Amino acid sequence: MWSLAEYRYVFVAVGLVGVLGFTVPSAMLFVHLPSGERFSELYVLGPGRMAEGYPFNVSAGKDYLVYLGVGNHLGRAAYYEVVVKLRNSTEPLPNATSATPSPLPALYSYDVFLTDGQTWEDALSFGFDDVLFGVNVSSVGRLRVNSAWVNVNESAAWDSVNGGYFYEVFVELWLYDAAGKSFGFHNRFVNLWLNMTTGF
Amino acid sequence: MRFWVNVFAFVLVACLASAVPLAFAASGEEAEDAVADAEGRLRGAFAACLDAEAAGANVSGLMTRLSLAGVELSGARVSLAAGNFSDAIGRAEACRGLADGVSGDANALRTDAVAQAAGWWVTVLLSAAGSVVFVCVLFLVWRRFKRVYGDRLLKCRPEVVG
Repeated sequence: MWSLAEYRYVFVAVGLVGVLGFTVPSAMLFVHLPSGERFSELYVLGPGRMAEGYPFNVSAGKDYLVYLGVGNHLGRAAYYEVVVKLRNSTEPLPNATSATPSPLPALYSYDVFLTDGQTWEDALSFGFDDVLFGVNVSSVGRLRVNSAWVNVNESAAWDSVNGGYFYEVFVELWLYDAAGKSFGFHNRFVNLWLNMTTGF
Repeated sequence: MRFWVNVFAFVLVACLASAVPLAFAASGEEAEDAVADAEGRLRGAFAACLDAEAAGANVSGLMTRLSLAGVELSGARVSLAAGNFSDAIGRAEACRGLADGVSGDANALRTDAVAQAAGWWVTVLLSAAGSVVFVCVLFLVWRRFKRVYGDRLLKCRPEVVG
């Protein structure tokens, strides 16, 4: 049998736990626990929504499909613009060091709204038209992005090292700054190398 | 007379022909304005959602509706670039309608959240009252327990062991 002093400790402990339980709702009003690292994610998946089977050898008149994804871990709601661009191997990519976007024009954009912890995924289908091959050079006149045709007039020289005419579809992530009332490059981009072939 | 009728017909056709590009130009400008307006409304609606969220409201439903508005805006931009001005205007207006609806709802949510946050003292009062009542009840239980414990101790018979 416990002594009275030991039972007193039990009662004091129960009292403290009970008071703590009643205080928690009030404490939550004033105490904000530190959140984890804040970041956004941008990714591209293959046609099966897996990180495999990405299109590489492409030709005119065919459709290609990938999936784009954005995840918001900024601790608040966010308004993203997902911008699709096309380049050849000599044109500039975004600069991750200086956090500057590629100066190339946007071909298509998605407006994405996400709450904290939410993820967005959507299809990006594309195809090429007006593709010509010359002496050590190829050119693309039009690119179809999600059933919208865009004039691109892009050309790529023959890459003798890797053996192909290489183009790159890349996707930049921009974030809306409500205070500045403008979009800024969020220093995230993904890319997809494509080798233009005759298709025969 | 016939000569003047021909001249009049020629002038009429020339005027109509010159008016056609003007009409298309106005339509293109109209579409650009509609898309720009939709972009502004969408940004305003998002800012309203951010305010509501900062006030403590749950804005996940509003963000879903804004995403739908964003799809319309993307479509409007594509149509504008393709020269399909009437479609661009239609989709920009759809975007604007959705964004305006979200703005209104976000403001209402924000007002509710602010009013709810203003009642923080009720939570504090309930917490304090709950704690006090709990401690008092525990103290009474303790007193009762002490008495029962004492009575039980008095009823015990001493035994000599060994």
